[in-house]
Amino acid sequence: MDPLSWTGQIAFLNPIIALALGLLVASVLAWVVVSAVLPENRAINDIGGTMTLASGPRDIAALAVRLTTLGTTVLALAYLVLGLALGTDAGILGAMAQQFWPVWTALVLLFTLSIAFKRRLGLYGKLFDSPIGMIGFALVMFWVFTGFFGAIDLIITHDPLSQLSGLKNKVPGTPLRSPEDGDFLWYLLGGDNLARDVFSRMVKGAWEVVKIAPLATIFAFMVGITLGLPAGYFGGRLDTFLSFLANLILAFPVILLFYLLVTPEIVATGLPQYMAAVLFAFPLIFFGVLINSRYRTQPSKNYLWLAIVLLPLLVAYFSLINEDGSKINFIPQAFDLFDIPGGILVVFVSVVFVNSPTVFRIVRGLTMDIKTRDYVAAAQTRGERPWYIMLWEVLPNARGPLIVDFCLRIGYTTILLGTLGFFGLGLPPESPDWGSTINEGRKLLSIYLHPALPPAMALLSLVLGLNLLADGLREESLKD
Amino acid sequence: MNKLAEYDGPILEIDKLSISFFTRLREIPAVMDFSVSVQPGEAVGLVGESGCGKSTVALGVMQDLGTNGRIVGGSIKFKGRDLAEMSAEELRDVRGNEIAMIYQEPMASLNPAMKIGRQLMEVPMIHEGVNEKEAHARALEVVTDVRLPDPERMLNSYPHQLSGGQQQRIVIAMALMSKPSLLILDEPTTALDVTVEAAVVELVKDLGKKYGTSMLFISHNLGLVLETCDRLCVMYSGEAVERGSIADVFDEMQHPYTQALFRSIPLPGADKTARPLVAIPGNFPLPHERPNGCNFGPRCDYFEAGRCDADDIMMSDVPGNDRHATRCLRFQEIDWNAPIQVGEQKEKTKPGKVVLKMDNLKKYYEVAANALFGGGATKVVKANETLSFEARESETLAIVGESGCGKSTFAKVLMGLETATEGAILLDGTNIEQIPIEARDTKTISDVQMVFQNPFDTLNPSMTVGRQIIRALEIFDIGDSDQDRKQRMLELLDLVKLPRAFADRMPRQLSGGQKQRVGIARAFSGGARIVVADEPVSALDVSVQAAVTDLLMEIQREEKTTLLFISHDLSIVRYLSDRVMVMYLGHVVELGDTDQVFSPPYHPYTEALLSAVPIADTSIEKEHIVLEGDIPSAMNPPSGCPFQTRCRWKSEVPAGLCDIEVPPVRQLETGHQIKCHLSDAVLDRMTPVIKVAAE
Repeated sequence: MDPLSWTGQIAFLNPIIALALGLLVASVLAWVVVSAVLPENRAINDIGGTMTLASGPRDIAALAVRLTTLGTTVLALAYLVLGLALGTDAGILGAMAQQFWPVWTALVLLFTLSIAFKRRLGLYGKLFDSPIGMIGFALVMFWVFTGFFGAIDLIITHDPLSQLSGLKNKVPGTPLRSPEDGDFLWYLLGGDNLARDVFSRMVKGAWEVVKIAPLATIFAFMVGITLGLPAGYFGGRLDTFLSFLANLILAFPVILLFYLLVTPEIVATGLPQYMAAVLFAFPLIFFGVLINSRYRTQPSKNYLWLAIVLLPLLVAYFSLINEDGSKINFIPQAFDLFDIPGGILVVFVSVVFVNSPTVFRIVRGLTMDIKTRDYVAAAQTRGERPWYIMLWEVLPNARGPLIVDFCLRIGYTTILLGTLGFFGLGLPPESPDWGSTINEGRKLLSIYLHPALPPAMALLSLVLGLNLLADGLREESLKD
Repeated sequence: MNKLAEYDGPILEIDKLSISFFTRLREIPAVMDFSVSVQPGEAVGLVGESGCGKSTVALGVMQDLGTNGRIVGGSIKFKGRDLAEMSAEELRDVRGNEIAMIYQEPMASLNPAMKIGRQLMEVPMIHEGVNEKEAHARALEVVTDVRLPDPERMLNSYPHQLSGGQQQRIVIAMALMSKPSLLILDEPTTALDVTVEAAVVELVKDLGKKYGTSMLFISHNLGLVLETCDRLCVMYSGEAVERGSIADVFDEMQHPYTQALFRSIPLPGADKTARPLVAIPGNFPLPHERPNGCNFGPRCDYFEAGRCDADDIMMSDVPGNDRHATRCLRFQEIDWNAPIQVGEQKEKTKPGKVVLKMDNLKKYYEVAANALFGGGATKVVKANETLSFEARESETLAIVGESGCGKSTFAKVLMGLETATEGAILLDGTNIEQIPIEARDTKTISDVQMVFQNPFDTLNPSMTVGRQIIRALEIFDIGDSDQDRKQRMLELLDLVKLPRAFADRMPRQLSGGQKQRVGIARAFSGGARIVVADEPVSALDVSVQAAVTDLLMEIQREEKTTLLFISHDLSIVRYLSDRVMVMYLGHVVELGDTDQVFSPPYHPYTEALLSAVPIADTSIEKEHIVLEGDIPSAMNPPSGCPFQTRCRWKSEVPAGLCDIEVPPVRQLETGHQIKCHLSDAVLDRMTPVIKVAAE
């Protein structure tokens, strides 16, 4: 069996795309220089409303940039389409393109449906009017779908944990030495230090990230919102106190905190668990107050809704914080539905701890602004309680900036997860998550580049996607 | 750069201008076929409701339409040169130098990080390249011209250190720095109080004469235009509908919209039974939903199907008048002098028993000098001083005063958002002044409700209209089931004359007037008996104001509500209220029946307020009283009489009594009281401020 080259039969495209990229860079440079040197031209209208066709050097440069960008994009798509068709015949790129087929299908479906119905989808639909937002959304959804399909073993080529002999630190495209029936015949992105498949580990790692980052961010938002609303609404001493606390946490060196949280002596005191008990109580408080303030005047409905929402949450909460053989262990085994591995708990606690003060500040500022509106005064004059006003009158109207910040913050959390993994904190050592993989690859980086690079690129593209998505959302939410 | 070069044609000539905005959905025509010309030294008014395109015209003149606005037809000629053909360089030369613009919000027009002097000096330094010394001298001269006290100090201060009126004067000074030949004023006084507005308007008028500047005055207020302009142009839905000299348009109007506009504004000189308000039916059309033919067609009384909605209608000259044109096909057929069709007049219910009684109410705030640690000296803000009055069932009591007079504080205390410092509020004989809203029972809360000023702020933007009304019903314990409440909500929508389909709409889908109606429905959802209406119509367009006012009065008649109508607009107060209370710096300076307050003897402040109201009627003669300075801060009120710093009658009181002593409340006639030191002899000498000129 021959090793796979990068592009296989479609290698003829390589010089073309190199040329296209060169032209793109040249045209962008020219455009930058031209627009810096030449004066701005004004669109002049003829009588009757036709625009004169622009033809200054500025416009020619802009046109060139547009054309080369288009050309490069078309070529990149050609790689993808040919790869999908030819598979391993089109080298490593083709094989990867083919492996990702469920993701492509899902993306095409999602985009077709969303663009078809974008006028009825509110802010989400408006996202499809902004190219930046669309690119960001596509990147994010690429990794979300990858994570999802990877989790159900669709994309991966090998088991991410199994080691195959003779493939230790082998370069991308190395064939398996003694393939069994039904095995994929190559390590697409090579093997790592323990002879595991880098491609499959990257795909599996996506699931770890997609699963933990948004959830941890949601918890951070719950804490930030539940504390930020009263601080902004009531102001005064409460605000001074909470803001001071937030500043204190923000000033604390984060890495030191992480190391403290995983030190065995500290774990033995139960500190991370106590912190978890406090931080995870916030969603309970949030939903409890949310429902109670809404149905205060109709007791029967109120109790019904409280029961429906709070009981499952309570069970989940106690299962979460209760762990056999640790400091918090008071409910019987039968009710302890699931256990969270200690490492993941630490990840959650640190993410929430680090992110919530910033969310707190944003919410506090927004609340201070919105509470001066007449509809808040109207609610006050009809005798609404403060928590109803905060949660039902103020919070929904602060949603715009919060959604944007949420996207950005998932990005930070993803990087934070990578950082934690890099320090060997949190997740178990064999976990395929991107941070741990980068850390492992780092040790041999000067000899073998390939094990560390794919997860790093994956992390980069996901965070970039989240930032672009946030940008697009912000831009679109400002328009009407 | 020879802007003083002789040029004797019209300064500004707009010919068949069309401007559109391009959104991702469609092209939105904002201005269509608009022509106007401004002669040297002439002031032209541009009047219309919000959204009619008047500000777009101004931006078009400045060639500043943003990225998605574009001139799609016609031309704008400034001193004979087409602005659209100028290069960016030439335009920069014209803007701020030959054409200056004054915007609505003075604070937003000034750079908060730069001293006033610097901002003013920039203008000649950039446009004429003069040195710093000369620029400073010029700035000093202009600031003196806009009649600001202590010009040196003004130049040395930052914008936030000045009051709104002073800021607007600085903006005017900045516009005049380069001695422009055209001044565009976009609602320059909307953000100011009436007495300050009157002073600014007079200033603009005088300066226009002194500098010989032509002006394009954009306003929604017909009265202001009457006072400032020589000619005016009425706009409706993107088109000029009538154009002519002030006298022609005001007295011989030739377009149904102009007529309807005049009929929908209350005039303080006229009697409300002889000249009732007539609201314009229907709504302003959205730019992309304009009808065929005449834009005003669907709302017009003289509409003739098949003719008015057939083709686009062109401006046609009115024979016999100078440069008077109208966009109406039927203007020569309509009898413009026909009397107003008066609808069925409902008898006003007589005021019943006393429901609300205020007795010596006081509200002081303590402001700590250092908020964080609570140390330092505390200052006392006396927001309300000895407020006493009674309000009866189904009576309208108007509370009049400018910003900072304590109206809002009084409303807060009444609603229970604050508790009183001293005195008593009796609701049906029960004291409520010390009960905060959390401690009040549902009945008390639903009895006293409020309608807010800003229609765009009064509804929660992320809740449907129906949901918001249902929430109020839930809070007031009305209805036993969701079904009940839904039914009641629909009835409330009927009450405020909104279609029931609006229940599922979001507030952003409603117009300002419709939102205000929802606000009224919400206030009345608990069967309110006392409604505090805080300037409920001041932010609405004139044509909608009349309809909302009528609605409030109609509901009042049916529900026997006591209406506390807070306003600074004396025209509307005169139109709808039974009694009037005038407030200044927390004091009630005058209280009495509407007729008593609106006729002499006045309190000097009431007199000034009356004089400041712009009246859109050429047959009215007003005595001209301009108050000097601004309203003093409640943090540091003047000694003695609160009004003594601006009072023009102060010299009539012997021995400087005004400086020393707060005047006592004096009864003039039954139910008419004023707080003034002036002797009866002086009061008797007062003449009416507003006089109808002899025909």
